[in-house]
Amino acid sequence: MKRWLLNRFVLVPGAIALVALLWNIYVATHDHGHITGRVVDLAGKPVADASVVLWVYNFTTYQEHSHVKTDDAGVFRFMNNPSHRIQLSAEKPGVGRSERIPVFLYFRAEDFDLATPLKLAPSG
Amino acid sequence: MNRYPRWPIHLALIMASFVMLVPFYWVAKTSVSGENIYAYPPSIIPTRVQPFFYVDVWYAIPFARYFLNSLAVSVIAVIANVIFNAMAGYALTHGFRGKNVVLMLFLSCMMVPFQATIIPAYLITGKLGLLDSWLGLALPQCSTIICIFIFKASFDAVPRSLIDAARIDGLPEWRIIWHIMMPLSTAAIATNVILAFIWSWNNFLWPLIMTRSADMQTLPLGLARFLSYQEDTTGALYAFCIMVLAPGLLLFLLAQKEFIRGLTSGATKG
Repeated sequence: MKRWLLNRFVLVPGAIALVALLWNIYVATHDHGHITGRVVDLAGKPVADASVVLWVYNFTTYQEHSHVKTDDAGVFRFMNNPSHRIQLSAEKPGVGRSERIPVFLYFRAEDFDLATPLKLAPSG
Repeated sequence: MNRYPRWPIHLALIMASFVMLVPFYWVAKTSVSGENIYAYPPSIIPTRVQPFFYVDVWYAIPFARYFLNSLAVSVIAVIANVIFNAMAGYALTHGFRGKNVVLMLFLSCMMVPFQATIIPAYLITGKLGLLDSWLGLALPQCSTIICIFIFKASFDAVPRSLIDAARIDGLPEWRIIWHIMMPLSTAAIATNVILAFIWSWNNFLWPLIMTRSADMQTLPLGLARFLSYQEDTTGALYAFCIMVLAPGLLLFLLAQKEFIRGLTSGATKG
């Protein structure tokens, strides 16, 4: 029995299956679709009430999915991201707009915190 | 002591290995960097390594379903190959009337391409009610003539006295195969497993002809479907290739010692 179990034909697929199982457990506990981040102006100050847009990839192009507004600390939260490949952009009249930031996730609807804030700059 | 230096042979082997491995390296590199293969000057070391092309592939098509289909079909083909080929190989180690005719028939059948018999194969599978099923996908590959000869060569190397002793002890033929011939033919089994797995895994034409629903498609068909979906496929396409190749490569690496031994067993028999 030991000879059948402790050989490379069992151990290697077994190790792969274990890694796959652990990965799936991780995915199942981190796929709520929460995206958080901050919006700042050119001086680095938080921008309240800016409109942030979530764009999701649909095989060929990015489509607008949903909007949220930033709070007083300039923080935005999306609770319903369905995709693994998204873009984020922000805008506030009178302050400016940000570039679209591409975000690649390791799996669909991964919970993600944007490390670099979206920076608003006057357009034109 | 060897009169000739060995380094020229090693140098030639290293160069041959390099030529063989460069395409694999290029595919692996493009799958993690997305750098265009036609870029000039070509970059040898990948920049901006990331795994997101693999994620794209996973979600662009129902990869898990195709993988399951390919795996199920390959497992059926492997099990059937080992059982049927061992039985046929064992029969061919015996002398019987018409054995030479059977051998000639087997050898001549190897020259008939599958494309020539695909319509009868489709009609037979349809009559059996196995179209669009795992068993139907595996059916034409449940026995291969090359693998029958591999088993035959391996069984021929087993001493005749061992089989006679088993018969005297009252063992039926199927138990002689299972308890005596098979444990002494691990290399032939490994060769059968690898060849049957790789042929089944890479098969494109038969699944294309006989599957009707998208849910029953296998990975090679998925690759064709993926190409029709995506326009900018440089990185994702190569990631898909790696994902399709990986199981076959893994199996070969696991069993390469037995595989080589199985292919060469009987080669030096007098």
